[in-house]
Amino acid sequence: MSQVLRSKRRRGLTVALVAALSAAGALTIWGAFGAHSAAPRTGPLTIHAGLENPPGAFVRGNGLFAKNGGRSQLVAAVSGAMIGPLSSVAVRSPDGQFVAYNTWQELRTVDSEQSFSKQAIAGGDALGTPSVRIRDDSGKDSLLERGAYSAAWRQDGAIAFVKGVEPQFRAGRSYDGQVVVRAGIHGHDAVWTKEPAHYVVYAWAGNRLLFYRVGLGEKLELLVADAPGSIRSLAEGSAIALSPDATRVAVLSQDATNVRLLDVATGGEVAWLDVTTATPPLAWLAYSGSWVSDHIVAPASAGLAVLHVGSRSLELEQVLSLDRSQFPVGVQVPRFVDADGNEIAASADIPSAKGTEAVSFLLVCDRIVRSCDRGEPAPAKEWLRLVDRTPAANEGGH
Amino acid sequence: MKVRAAISAAVLAISLIVPADAFAYLTWFEFTRQSNIASTLTMAWQYGPGFYGTQSWRAGSGVSTDACWIGHGWLPTGYYDLWGHWNNYDGKIAGRVFYLQNKPCWNGTWRTELFVHSEETAGQGQYCPTAGDDPYCWEGPSDYYSNGCIKVSRAGYPSDLRLVHDGWHGKSGDSRHGYFTINNWLYVRDG
Repeated sequence: MSQVLRSKRRRGLTVALVAALSAAGALTIWGAFGAHSAAPRTGPLTIHAGLENPPGAFVRGNGLFAKNGGRSQLVAAVSGAMIGPLSSVAVRSPDGQFVAYNTWQELRTVDSEQSFSKQAIAGGDALGTPSVRIRDDSGKDSLLERGAYSAAWRQDGAIAFVKGVEPQFRAGRSYDGQVVVRAGIHGHDAVWTKEPAHYVVYAWAGNRLLFYRVGLGEKLELLVADAPGSIRSLAEGSAIALSPDATRVAVLSQDATNVRLLDVATGGEVAWLDVTTATPPLAWLAYSGSWVSDHIVAPASAGLAVLHVGSRSLELEQVLSLDRSQFPVGVQVPRFVDADGNEIAASADIPSAKGTEAVSFLLVCDRIVRSCDRGEPAPAKEWLRLVDRTPAANEGGH
Repeated sequence: MKVRAAISAAVLAISLIVPADAFAYLTWFEFTRQSNIASTLTMAWQYGPGFYGTQSWRAGSGVSTDACWIGHGWLPTGYYDLWGHWNNYDGKIAGRVFYLQNKPCWNGTWRTELFVHSEETAGQGQYCPTAGDDPYCWEGPSDYYSNGCIKVSRAGYPSDLRLVHDGWHGKSGDSRHGYFTINNWLYVRDG
């Protein structure tokens, strides 16, 4: 009896060993050749230092860096002081010849930890002047407009931006402006808004312009202009991304929990998703993500979220979580950097604490193997950001 | 006799340290950032050299903890001047509101249009027409989330908003409304 049992046990062990070796072999082959055909899965991102090749051009301070690492000097340092992540800090023209970038001329040094009164800053004192500059491929760097910010290129080379009622940003005053469209770098201006307000230009959707009105309490309202003076409210909230064909926009509710796909032309809702009841549930998403093919990537409470877009549906496909001890405030402005929507680049800031200076990193992540390469740290005030591309017709939007 | 002398001395000491207007103390607020929907707003007043009183309430700010995120992150740390106070503000933010100075975050992004407020109508009432989240209706803890402003509860009687509002007027003796400036009215720090 015991011999029979022993024999059965030995045969069972042999089968188990063969099965284990087969599984290990299959895993090795899958790991080597099949990773990118695998389904993306939710899970933590592992971060490795030593990003060697950024996925595209980027800006930092007064430098414009090519993908191959070459550095070009900018006349003024880049800054998103007036836009934060609402709009591109630097964006390339559709023909690739020009880069429009935001700058900030500080007229008065402001200690962010002290009140204005402590620094003898009175209401109405000029604190700085935002400007948009253009750099071309030959190295020519010219001022597009002083007292302006948030530039977006149209396919025909027209450029939209916000032009302040007056150039200076002043203590105790709202920075009101008008949305202006310049017909090319040296073209004439047309004012597209009817009255001055605190606007930020987001992007063109074909010949329609998407822009924000920033209200009391920084409440964001996404507006669409079909033509000069023809303005509609698209949504209370912010834009995550434009569809590749620029006909739809994914908008985020004020409370950052609901995503709606809207038809830009009609404002009609195409699909809807509550991320707090998705699987896995998320506390929030954030604006300024990217859309390639049928995938959207957005900053999320956990790190990054990838949504799958159907013809009339929206689903949470993947959540990529970041270690909060490493990246306490997560990432901003994630961008798909490959056509398949598998690689994501983003900026990650680490706030100042206990006398240390705040720093920024570029992260480039493969969402299939859930691994990121991290670039060198840069002072956060140098605005290390990828240069956004203006999508060609029928190409992915940001 | 000794007891009477001691009481007299104590009364004299108190009369020397308490301001002439006993209801006008140096008063300010502190916001301790702990989480977006469960931080602490504290009102502090100095009723004599080295003597302070405090009262605290639960408060919220932002949706994320990135202070550089316009319309999304909580307030940057540091001191803030007050730029105005209204009882019946009538906008997307309404009712009793305290208007704060602009503030740059760590990378220089300007945070603007910031207030201390709650969710109520311009008439200080509640307007709750839907089963969802109404902007002038305090439904519950999720209302502590904001685009960046500090929010306190409008629930219960007296509500935290009323205690903040009445506490400010009562302790500071400052009855002004509209645009005016009070230096270093709020200090925001990490908890």
